[in-house]
Amino acid sequence: MEVEVDENELKNFGAELLTDGRFGLRIRGWEIEAVKQSILKSLDLHQWEEKLQTSHLPEMIFGNSCLSLKHVASGTKIHFNAFDALKGWKLEALPPVEVPAAAKWKSRSKPFQQVILDYDYTFTTPYSGSEIVETEKARENISDVRCSLNWEDCKEKIDMVALSEKEPILYYNEVVLYEDELADNGISLLTVKVRVMPSGWFLLLRFWLRVDGVLMRLRDTRIHCIFADCSFPIILREICWREATFNSLAAKGYPMDAAAYIDPGTISQRLPTIMHETQKLIFKGNLITICCFTG
Amino acid sequence: MSDLDRQIEQLKRCEPLRESEVKALCLKAMEILVEESNVQRVDAPVTICGDIHGQFYDMKELFKVGGDCPKTNYLFLGDFVDRGFYSVETFLLLLALKVRYPDRITLIRGNHESRQITQVYGFYDECLRKYGSVNVWRYCTDIFDYLSLSALIENKIFSVHGGLSPAISTLDQIRTIDRKQEVPHDGAMCDLLWSDPEDIVDGWGLSPRGAGYLFGGTVVSSFNHTNNIGYICRAHQLVMEGYKWMFNNQIVTVWSAPNYCYRCGNVAAILQLDENLNKQFQVFEAAPQESRGAPAKKPAPDYFL
Repeated sequence: MEVEVDENELKNFGAELLTDGRFGLRIRGWEIEAVKQSILKSLDLHQWEEKLQTSHLPEMIFGNSCLSLKHVASGTKIHFNAFDALKGWKLEALPPVEVPAAAKWKSRSKPFQQVILDYDYTFTTPYSGSEIVETEKARENISDVRCSLNWEDCKEKIDMVALSEKEPILYYNEVVLYEDELADNGISLLTVKVRVMPSGWFLLLRFWLRVDGVLMRLRDTRIHCIFADCSFPIILREICWREATFNSLAAKGYPMDAAAYIDPGTISQRLPTIMHETQKLIFKGNLITICCFTG
Repeated sequence: MSDLDRQIEQLKRCEPLRESEVKALCLKAMEILVEESNVQRVDAPVTICGDIHGQFYDMKELFKVGGDCPKTNYLFLGDFVDRGFYSVETFLLLLALKVRYPDRITLIRGNHESRQITQVYGFYDECLRKYGSVNVWRYCTDIFDYLSLSALIENKIFSVHGGLSPAISTLDQIRTIDRKQEVPHDGAMCDLLWSDPEDIVDGWGLSPRGAGYLFGGTVVSSFNHTNNIGYICRAHQLVMEGYKWMFNNQIVTVWSAPNYCYRCGNVAAILQLDENLNKQFQVFEAAPQESRGAPAKKPAPDYFL
């Protein structure tokens, strides 16, 4: 089966590409769009520092990039952006992780008046996406109390078997939200990728951290939506956090050098899970009639 | 045309040299570099360049903007390799120019010119991929040990890859370092290649990683005063605008890798100094996509789970 379909073939699946230089797709009542921009300029960076009340941010923030998925009839918009992710980082405020060289540094003679910085330089975030209801009223700045979105714990699971089937991919994109090289001590990377098939869309938001010689951390959020024409679609979200130290991996016979872990894909299944939950998106409110009564 | 001139022409087309040629080139380079001081003296006019990171086609843009070597004198502040796709061609071209025009181009060491770092961040893998063995990586990393640690332009501008060290207050202290070794994990040599200026400290700061110094404005003023220099020029940190002054123009960061990692969208800069040390920053953009053989921008769809 084809991996990516031709623009003309999209019509057969009821889909059309967004125009006016936008990168996205309209399909089955959804508008899915990726915006990819340069990293923030110094001036913007300074404003972010003030808003987030921090003096340290990742060196590459794709602050104007985002991925958004909007269900037009309900106004539900699920979106991913660096700012909200960094708000999460600031709130979680994990203690710093020491690199292997730190042990040696402790015995170095200290300079006169040394300040030890103690922010979480790994930019670890619990972020698993943002969501709002964009109704007509909300657009006019009137709060619409009848509409709300909630992620509720559920027993259902994302159907990975169905997702393993090679349905044609009508649209695919990957957006980097932020990245930091940890001053050449590893990598901290937050990305989101999406694929849209005739039956629904699936996305993976991944925070990947490797502090060379110390630890690896993977925080994945997977969201799957099955298209539904006349009701609010089923949207499931699985959050899975994995983490291991290099020492614990070495004890299991895995390599100790960072070069073996450039790509998180190779290691993800070997990292022990420390948190896993499945949730369903509950929408309270009215769907706009165009959808409900035309079927 | 001499062999060396032919090799330079070949490298300018981004075609790597044969393994035996790399070996011979490195031997010649070693003879030149071993004579250089840890604080290599450089005459003006000169053009100062920051990190390149294997972005060969963007370095060609740099030479378009700055002029060809030897017509223009160059000082490169290290980090020639890793992260980009063409670390081999980038470093070999710079090294060949060094051997051909030793007085016209100065190369100092960055923290990526190290065996350990290049094994993680790309240069090692690239050598293995392009030559089928790690010999070229060995020749190059052996040469890294001979690169100077800093430069002093007309006794007025101190240039280094990273920054200052609490173990160093005078240039003479740098001169006494035995540099012919892998970059150590601590100490003066490590600091010169790794440390960063930092706004929120005045004196010295320790990174939250537990290793790596940060230095503030007072440290820079005192160093510049003690050594009677005007300002420090360093690289090492990505700056979206290509260059950035700090601490009342006492230190400037120069970054020369545009569209870093082929996706940041940043501009790059070089600092041109004329014979009277008048400054002129030249800002430039990345080479057009089609001219540099980089992978297409559009990501390939993948059935990720």
